[in-house]
Amino acid sequence: MNWGGVVFGVSGAVALVGAVLAVGLRNIFHNILGFALALVGVAGLFLSLGSDFLAAVLILVYVGALAIAMVYAVMLSYPLDTRPEPRSVPKVLGAAALAMVVAAALYAIVQGAHFPPPSGAREVSAQWVGFRLLRDYVLAFELISVLLVVAMIGAVMVARKARMPKEPPKPTPRMIG
Amino acid sequence: MTPLDGYLTISVALFCIGLYGLVQRRSLIAMLIALELMLAAASLNVVALTTLTGGARQVGVGHGSSVGQVVALILIGVAAAEAAIALSLFVAIQRYASTINVEDLSELKG
Repeated sequence: MNWGGVVFGVSGAVALVGAVLAVGLRNIFHNILGFALALVGVAGLFLSLGSDFLAAVLILVYVGALAIAMVYAVMLSYPLDTRPEPRSVPKVLGAAALAMVVAAALYAIVQGAHFPPPSGAREVSAQWVGFRLLRDYVLAFELISVLLVVAMIGAVMVARKARMPKEPPKPTPRMIG
Repeated sequence: MTPLDGYLTISVALFCIGLYGLVQRRSLIAMLIALELMLAAASLNVVALTTLTGGARQVGVGHGSSVGQVVALILIGVAAAEAAIALSLFVAIQRYASTINVEDLSELKG
């Protein structure tokens, strides 16, 4: 029995089921849980490709941090007790048609492409990734850290500015006197 | 069906499910979820292609199969930064307009 194939099949099925749940359900909280499931499936696919470090990072960042941040955003902004509006049928049909057309085009491209066979050493271990990331692509690594700092400060600024009232409160007589 | 075809087919399916969600959903958070699914499909594609083919070496990137994992790591970092900004913007929009339904957010004047 080929264990790589088993991991690939199970992970692919988990990823697709999770993705369908993430976009198909009406409740936004269920969508987030489906999203986490889909990302666990994608991490399994990375594992079956041999990139174990990437799978760990994917679960840490997406399932551990991003899904939690989405839950916080839902709690801060989403009235969970309101009934969802009915779906508009033309919109669903249009979106499905668009997705089908794009899927058919991409699948045709994939089937028509010729890929060269693997050559050279198979460098999939975490050791190789760290070597490449900190030697050959160190500029991208540093830029990502700068980008994350900027995004963090920007997120705090945006969310904080919105909390301030639109016009300053009028001073009470006691404050003037 | 080679293993590479399997990975690429799953990647196409994930991408198009995300595209469907991005077009069909009305909530900004649901659209962000769909967008993240599309990004995950793209990084899966990059890793599968660089691991299972010799394409990266052939087009002159030259660093063998680990370059795809480096690209995917950078993609994950960019996606995390983008999601942090987007979620804080959603909270700000909710405070300003009391909704994050894109069909109700139709005024451009800030």
